[in-house]
Amino acid sequence: MKLSEIPQYIVDLARRLGATDVAAKLVESQRTMIRFSNNEVTVSKTFFENSVDVFLMVEKHRAATSISTLSLKNIKKSIENLIKVAKSTPPADIYAPLPKGPFTYNPELIKAPEIPLDADTLTGYVESAIKCALDKGAERAAGTLTASRFKVALATSGEVYASEEKASIELSIRAFVSELATGQAVSVASRLEDFNPEEAGRMAGEIAKAASNPKPGEPGKYMALLGPMVFADIASQVGALSSAFLVEAGQSFLVDKINSEVASEKFTLIDDPTLAGTLGARAFDDEGVPTRRNIIVERGVLKTYLHNSITAKKFGVETTGNAGIIVPHPWNLVIEPGGKSPEELLAEIDDGIYVTNDWYLRYQNYRTGDFSTIPRDGMFRVRNGEIVESIRELRISDNMLRILRNIVDLSRSRTWIRWWEVEIPTLTPYALISEVNFTKSRM
Amino acid sequence: MEDIAHYIIDSARNMGAEYAEARLQTDLRESIVMKNGVLEASVLEESRGVGIRILVDGSLGFASTNSMRRRDVERALKSAFKIARSASRLIKRKITMGKGELGSGKVDIKPRINFGSVDLESRVNLLKEADEQAINASSMLNVKVPSRMIVLDTWVTEKLVMTSDGANVYSVTPRAALFTFITVFHPQKGPAQRYFNLGETGGWEVVERWNLPKIFYDETYALSKVLMEAVKTPEGEMDAVLGPEVVGIVSHESCGHPSEADRILGREAAQAGETFLKPDSIGLRVGSNYVNVVDDPTIKGSFGFYLYDDEGVKARRRILIKEGVVNEFLHNRETASVFGVESNGSSRSVAYNREPIVRMANTFFLPGDYSEEEIFEDIKHGIYMKSFMEWNIDDRRFNQRYVGLEAYRIENGELREMIRNPILEITTIGLWSSVDAASKKPEFQAAYCGKGDPMQGIPVWTGGPHIRLRKVRIGGA
Repeated sequence: MKLSEIPQYIVDLARRLGATDVAAKLVESQRTMIRFSNNEVTVSKTFFENSVDVFLMVEKHRAATSISTLSLKNIKKSIENLIKVAKSTPPADIYAPLPKGPFTYNPELIKAPEIPLDADTLTGYVESAIKCALDKGAERAAGTLTASRFKVALATSGEVYASEEKASIELSIRAFVSELATGQAVSVASRLEDFNPEEAGRMAGEIAKAASNPKPGEPGKYMALLGPMVFADIASQVGALSSAFLVEAGQSFLVDKINSEVASEKFTLIDDPTLAGTLGARAFDDEGVPTRRNIIVERGVLKTYLHNSITAKKFGVETTGNAGIIVPHPWNLVIEPGGKSPEELLAEIDDGIYVTNDWYLRYQNYRTGDFSTIPRDGMFRVRNGEIVESIRELRISDNMLRILRNIVDLSRSRTWIRWWEVEIPTLTPYALISEVNFTKSRM
Repeated sequence: MEDIAHYIIDSARNMGAEYAEARLQTDLRESIVMKNGVLEASVLEESRGVGIRILVDGSLGFASTNSMRRRDVERALKSAFKIARSASRLIKRKITMGKGELGSGKVDIKPRINFGSVDLESRVNLLKEADEQAINASSMLNVKVPSRMIVLDTWVTEKLVMTSDGANVYSVTPRAALFTFITVFHPQKGPAQRYFNLGETGGWEVVERWNLPKIFYDETYALSKVLMEAVKTPEGEMDAVLGPEVVGIVSHESCGHPSEADRILGREAAQAGETFLKPDSIGLRVGSNYVNVVDDPTIKGSFGFYLYDDEGVKARRRILIKEGVVNEFLHNRETASVFGVESNGSSRSVAYNREPIVRMANTFFLPGDYSEEEIFEDIKHGIYMKSFMEWNIDDRRFNQRYVGLEAYRIENGELREMIRNPILEITTIGLWSSVDAASKKPEFQAAYCGKGDPMQGIPVWTGGPHIRLRKVRIGGA
């Protein structure tokens, strides 16, 4: 049997064995990763994986599995076992049949661009990114380059048979002028023509250079300019926690906020997997439903949670095409731009702080949105619209809803962000935010 | 398994690799996900494959495949070889594998109760009982528990690690883990939240011993009390007692991570970051004489348990801080070679398709000689932080913040009222230098430590006894 025939085989087998609903997704992937630090490669990795995820229901009884040994014998055994497990699983509170197809998918989303996976080409990209960072004054650079190709084939009992290809190339680079003067930048793309490792290297080097000789910052409330890497971290929280599953689990500051104002009217957040040629584009979700453009927050007002068919039935709405079989999630976040340049936004700050990157975002309370995160890499004191010095050792300790409501303006230019801290691809502008609370370690 | 490993090692040698390592690993996992008392799904996961590491011209290549067919394994090996060779032009200091006590043999952890002998109904009933106890506990204080998430995982890891220089270790390790996220709510007070993990190495007997209904009752009752009774925290300079849960995260974040030799060398610089410790920091005083922190994979039943690491090196206890002084770093064979020491068995990988890197196992503050009562008794004015929710630390592991969840004011050695969200925001050296006592009894918590690219969330324990800090700054929200 060809690999591509496995999903339909599983659907037929599970139906014969008593499943009312089945979805089987085959993923064939190849990925190459080059990691570097101190201007040299530390390890090069290549991954080959073919596996199948199966979700099935016997009415309200649900079970799921992943199968990595794709012999017919093992698949048959796994499905027989899964049926037994499903039948002995207590019923869930509702039964939502898998969506009925067949569906029509956007042909532009089904084909992936060509992305090189060969070692020599990828090592060349790393070499040029490092060189650009050093040319801008960095002493050393570290980072990761990852190139991936995926093929997905999905069959469901709802008469869905769909397949698509995906590709991506992503560079994250951190430049060091000294231990305390660093800058980080990314270039992430699905099309090779949108990938610019040199620009990422240059930007990381420039931030690191500007961050030289940082002084300890003073805690307080400041007007803050958040660079795209920071604002992507915050906006992707809104995207991720708009999952109806997490809302129901209480793990979201968006609980009971549909049609409420959750942000400044400057903020519009869209999950848009229909943007062909972008990192998170995809034609269908894990239930085979065609993906669509969902406006999560429109001019500050929360418009929808993200759903699969099960959460949609619970909430009394239609699926948004965001399955995740168990947990729906966003695919490709887009923040609508503002009208000014980053420089114009900086010029609006009388007395404030510009933060280029952050990490380690943790909540005290997901429901209220109380959290903190740590700026890392270049952070700058701004007075009278100009950067006056590099600062360090401050932490953003605030509340998600307050930060979103305090958005003053956004930049016209936007950058696709995805890296270690931001998992969902997010097209992000600079954000000018008032009254951001910065705290500091004592002793 | 052994045939494939030998094939990889022999082929890599024939291709000219200076070092080769084959790791065949299978993880078979069963999970149940219960949300608000309703079982969302039963999930079975099979992760099976081979991870290959080779050294070619001083360049390190890794490849993985989940197909055990000879031609697919050969393709992975050739890819590792090709990519390592290609990257060798960007390598100035050739990588070598340092010394370590290489193992040969079998580590088979036998569960007393096999997971397979516990049917789904028993598992579900146990979680339902625990869930009901959470509701009962909160109702004692007229509080609702609108959201409860419980995930129970049981899994068995079967692994063979073979290296070209003689390691050959086969192991079977069963583990059980539970993740919980609870929200309590009162119309006038709003929400309060708590998550916690339990995790150990062993069979179903581990889950039985946890006594989940009691844990859920106690945790939800305490959280409800926090919601209903906690008052504004005192602020300013004062003494503080940290409970074992907080001491565990501090030991992990502010001693374990800074001591990872790969971070010291900058290998994680673009992701998890570097560390304030430098290669010559052995002997550096970072705390008071009362501070002793170790990392020990060899504790039976611990979540981070192993006897041989993923390079086949025998594991042992590592004394990271001894009487306030940096004593030892965590090493794999690659970093050991750079530092001119022997590997202390800290190389771990979470799955066949992840590179083994320097990791913690069970990191904890060693007990002192105070009783639980003595540690509080001469505090005139202070706070006790028993548990926490929010925390973070900068990428040099120097500036950290822990926000208390269950916490109390201390007055004249006695615990007084509950206080809301006391904040300890402090430097690593500031924190360790303020310790002047540790109690006798350690406790441990399970966690998944995140590191690497691709990310690897690896099972660990964190822990310690109660410790007392003198004159630290406590803030409020």
